[in-house]
Order: sequence, then structure tokens, then C-alpha cells
Amino acid sequence: MNFVPFGIRSYWVKMATHSSKALFCVGRTSFSYIGLSKSTSRVSYATALSVNNSHRNKGPSDKNGRFPRRPKREPGEPRTEKMAPDQDWTSVYPAATPFRPNSVPLPVRMGFPVKGGVPPQKKGNLELIKIPNFLHLTPAAIRKHCEALKPFCTEWPSALDTDPKCDERFPVKIESREFVSAGPSIRNPAARVVQLSIKLSSLNLDDHARKKMLKLVGERYCRDTDVLTIRADSCPLRQQNYDYAMYLLTVLYHESWKIEAWEAEKTVADMEEYMWEDSPSQRNIVELLMRMKVSEGDGQEVREQLLERRDVQEYKDSVTRLKNEGESESSMLQYKEAVKKVLNV
Amino acid sequence: MALHRLTLRLRPTVTHVRSVHTSRYGRQQEAAAVDPEPEPISVFRTQENDPACQSEKQIGQFYTLPSEHIRLLFPHGLPKRYQQQVKTFNEACVMVRQPALEVISYMKKADYSQPALRYLFYGVTGSGKTMSLCHAVHFCYTQGWVVLHIPDAHLWVKNCKELLPSSYNSSRFDQPLQATAWLRNFKITNERFLSKIKIKHRYVWTKRESTEGGRPLGELVDQGISRVKSSSDVVAAVMKELRQQSGHPEGNFRLAVAVDGVNALWGKSTIKKEDKSAVDPEELTLVYNLRKLLKNDWIGGAIITTLSQTGSLYTSKSAYLPQELLGERGFDSMDPFIPLSVPNYSEKEFESCYLYYTDRNWLQHSQSGTEEGKKELIFLSNRNPTMFDRLCSFL
Repeated sequence: MNFVPFGIRSYWVKMATHSSKALFCVGRTSFSYIGLSKSTSRVSYATALSVNNSHRNKGPSDKNGRFPRRPKREPGEPRTEKMAPDQDWTSVYPAATPFRPNSVPLPVRMGFPVKGGVPPQKKGNLELIKIPNFLHLTPAAIRKHCEALKPFCTEWPSALDTDPKCDERFPVKIESREFVSAGPSIRNPAARVVQLSIKLSSLNLDDHARKKMLKLVGERYCRDTDVLTIRADSCPLRQQNYDYAMYLLTVLYHESWKIEAWEAEKTVADMEEYMWEDSPSQRNIVELLMRMKVSEGDGQEVREQLLERRDVQEYKDSVTRLKNEGESESSMLQYKEAVKKVLNV
Repeated sequence: MALHRLTLRLRPTVTHVRSVHTSRYGRQQEAAAVDPEPEPISVFRTQENDPACQSEKQIGQFYTLPSEHIRLLFPHGLPKRYQQQVKTFNEACVMVRQPALEVISYMKKADYSQPALRYLFYGVTGSGKTMSLCHAVHFCYTQGWVVLHIPDAHLWVKNCKELLPSSYNSSRFDQPLQATAWLRNFKITNERFLSKIKIKHRYVWTKRESTEGGRPLGELVDQGISRVKSSSDVVAAVMKELRQQSGHPEGNFRLAVAVDGVNALWGKSTIKKEDKSAVDPEELTLVYNLRKLLKNDWIGGAIITTLSQTGSLYTSKSAYLPQELLGERGFDSMDPFIPLSVPNYSEKEFESCYLYYTDRNWLQHSQSGTEEGKKELIFLSNRNPTMFDRLCSFL
């Protein structure tokens, strides 16, 4: 019979837990010996045969006789044997504790499988102990926590049952985090951060004010959701950060309504989006149509009349779409059709 | 064409491919038995060699460019690889494709007393924009127009060996070498018009040399070719004269302006001034005058242009849409134009090109005749004309 120490790669195939009993034979150290059957396949199978090595494994300390050891107690049945399927799990794992293989009645395996084998079992598995486990957070446990917390909570107002209603009544949303951890200090510097989010549609801004506000806040605005987010973390206390965030919002609002003298110098390069009026494109098309002598005479009224025409309007739409939305095959096609109509091709 | 060319029947294409290989060997036996047909009919070729008469029925088919036309019309206009192909195959076959046909149809319908229309071919790299441009230019040539073909505007904004300050306007720069080369090619293409068109203004080159009004255009062009220093100004003068005279009754000609790689005119250049600062394309005489020509303030002609990413500077490789390559300034200058998308080959066009290569015995690989081989070619090249051409040149 070949003996292979357990601690080094062992070849296991689906060991039922009850049969493992036979293999937890005596051994001073953590080694246990298993018998390998000389089966035909390359993978060796473990037999549920215990080896009588008890007399062999006295350990080195016995040689001297200098350090007599206490007679070792046999480890008893693991607790998993005594667990009923309908037990109260929350009392087995009431808090976050490391993984205890004898308390968890699940045949989990974890680790890198040896060649031709399976991942190591849970007993003595350091990998399972190292990782965080959520055995203390089963739904039943969470339900119990919630029940315990309920006396300290207040009722959610029944009128605010949908999101749009909440946004309408409470447009400003403040978010801050609390941290609880076991340690010598209860303070956490990350708890001072305050995030203020508000939808710009709930603020009273006209066109100029909105553009100025967007320029002032820059990256803090999300175009898809129309939400302005101000994150304040420069002060040491949460109260201070909250005050600062509210102050920033107030200042932004009032400043965007003011019109400064130098804003009159806004150039085409500063514009947020393309405007067709007074653009080279408009000038080009008007001049072209004048040259094509589409309508008689010259002068401002004739130009305005030209601009009123339907195909010119379509052309304007297609150019604006090209410039604002960027290019794509469909927008190029639309532009092409519009140009063809205007030029009578 | 030579009798040794294959005769292909009008059959469904799958059996067509197989028949190419079988008939090649069987032909010698058949030749004696079968009476020689007057003209070989094939699926991928068309006999309609005049672009004016081509229509949608010929889409996907190859028509032959007469060699005379190639020598005169395209001394510098065809893509490099295509020129090599022409030399190898001993014939110049151009595929009739939809974008070129569209431009030709617009040009047929256009009213030439109105300002010139601008057409822009755009598409991914290697999809056949330059060839479509050449097709349209061939149409203009057969119709008897004056052809002003700038083969690649990118060549004017990079690798300039000689840069002289312009004599006409001191803030601009001249490029004598490029200008003379272009004038020479222009002369070859438009030989027949050079004596007919008379210039209107008087141009003074130096204290002793000047060209009076009323002289033929040929003299102006010769002046530019011989006096290299003033060639850029000659180019400018030629452009101005043609622009002003086209469409008018006394000029009696129509002008086709064909520019390949038009996005170079509004892009960046790699030419540096003596103090190592970059030259803006606007400061180059050639580019400045070409931009004036591209404005649609003249009548009696058409402006056909293509975008090109391949030679362009400081643009990303995946850019192919007009706004990306032209930029803001370019788009505003070219606006309004008719954009024409040149896509990769359609299934029919790919089939046609494949048959053409097989016919020319270009595909020597044993697998190239099989269905899997064809599928592999489709997969590898994604039906992109240039990729397909490069792949086949290895086979």
C-alpha cells in the first residue's frame, strides 16, 4: 500500500463526508494517511480504509522523553453532524466570524485543483478562512436585523410614493456616508464627504443662465440625466461641507443670472452648439441662390424671403444636425437630399 | 481584342468559375470546331466604353479605357497600383459603379449657366474614390471639356524641397517644382484647347517678360514650364483665366475641376519656414489659388473632389466622413456640396472583379477557383477593393 501524506497533493475523488471519518485517524501532526488502491485508472481512488498507524506516529518529541505530552484527546464529531436542516442559522453565525469548517454543513471545496483532481476540501482549507464570508448575512438574519431596527425608524410619508413626486417636492438630494468599524477610534475621515445632487430642470434658469451655469460647473453636470452633482470634501466636518455645498449652489444660481459686460465678447468658438444664423453656411447658401438668380432683385427683403423657403429650411436643419450631432451615414444622406433640393439637381 | 482571350458564356456565376478553368484547356480543341464569335460576351465586361452612354445596367461591369485616353488624360491622375495593373494586364479596365454614375447623371442634367456644382466622394480607405473620380473625369474628357486635374492635393502640402517667397504677394510661398510638374501634365491633357483659349489679362513676369492679353493659353503654360521661378504664378493665372472664361459664349468650353484629396487644402502642412514654424496651407500660392477655384462663384463647369485619408497629415486612420477630414473651415468653404458615399464592393461588384482577375489569370493559387477560396477572399478583404487587390497580388 502506498502512503501519501495528506498535506501534499492528494488524489481525491468525491469523498462523502461520512467516509472521511475513517481517515481522520490518529496522527500527532496534521498528517493523516490514506490508502491508495491500486486501481486501473490513472487517478487513484481513496479507499475508506483507515490505516493503523497509530502506533507509528509518536512524533519526534517522544524520542527524548523530555517533553511528555498530554495524552491527546480525540476530536469529537464535528458540529455539522448534529445540525438539523431546520435549525436557526442566525445563531450559528450571529456575527462576522471566520469560516469554521466544522460549523458549516456545506461540502464546499476551494482552491486550485491538483492535476487530474478536484479542489481541496473545506477541512483545514486556508483559502476559505482567508476570504470574507457572508454566512452571517442570510436573508433570515437580515430580516431579524430589520425587525430589531424598526422601532427606531419613522414611517415613510405615504404621499411620496413615486420618484417624480419626490423630485418635485425635494429637488435637492444630499448624500453622505456613515462608517462603523471595530477599532480604537470611531472617527472616519471619509465620513465628512457630502454630495449634493439636483436636477437643473427644477431650477428657474433662462437660456443664457443655463448656458452660463453649464460653463461654470463644467464636468459636474451629466447631460443624459440632467443632474448637477456638487461634491464637497474640503472641510473637516460634515456639517461644514454641507453648508459649503449649499452655498455653492446658491452662488452658482445667482451668478448665472447675472450678465457681465465682457460676455458680449462671446465668439463663435465659445458657443456650445452650432447656430445656423450668421454662420458661413447661411452666407454661402444665400449668396449661391442670389447668384443662381432664383428670385429677382437684390436687397435685404429678398434675402429674407430666400431664407423662408422650405428647401432652405430643410438645408438649415440638415447642416445643424450634422454639426451638432456629428456625422453618420444617415445625416450625410439627409444633407445630400437637402442640397440636391436647394440646388435643383 | 486579341483572340487568345477567353470566351465566357453568360451562365450563372458558380458554373462560370469552373468553366473558366475547363474551357481554358478545352479551348484549343474547341477553337477549331467552334466558329469564332464576333465578340466575346462576358458577364463582367461591357462594351459600352463611353461613359456618357453607361447606365445602371452596367453597374459592376468593367469597361475599357482606350489607351490613347490614358496617355493624354491621366498622365498623373491614376492611382499608383492601378497604373501597375494597367501595365501588367495590358489594358485599363474600370468598373462602372454607382457613385460615379450618379455624378455623371447629375452632370448631364446640370444647367451650365448656373454656378458650378461641387461633388465630394467620401468613403473608407481603399473603397474606390479616386477611381470614381477618374471615371467622372473620363466622362468630362469625352464630352470635350477642359480638365483641370490635381491628382493629389496632399503632395502640395508636404515634402516640399524648394519653397520660395512669392513674388506676387510677399506673405505667400511658391512651390516651383510642384507647379512645373503640374503644368506639364496639364499641357499633355488639354493640348487641343491651349491654342483655342485666349487669355484676357496681361501678365507681367519680369521687367522684360510679359504675356499680353489675346495670346493663346498655350503660351502662358509654356512660359510657366520654361521659367520655373514664376511657375506658381502661372498656375494661378491659368486657373483665373479658365475660371473666368468657362461657360461664357466666347470661351465655348466647359471646365471640370477634379481634385483628389481635397481635405489637404484645409488641413495642416508639414512644410516648415526657415524659423521652423509650420506653414499654413493658405500661405502657399498653389493652395490659395486652388481654394479660390473651388468656390462656386464661376459658371459653366463642375467641381469633382474626393477626400483622402491616406496621404493626409495629422488625421486618424479611421476618419473617413467629410466633416472629420475637412474640418470646420473646410466644410464651411465647401458647403453646399453634394456628398457621395463610395462603399466597398457589393456582392455583384465583387463577383465581377473576381471574374476579371480570374480572366486575366491573375489568381494563380490552386484554391482560388474554389468556393472556399472565394469565401476566404471575401472574408479577408471585407470586399474592400484595395484590400482585395493586394490580396490577389499575392496569389
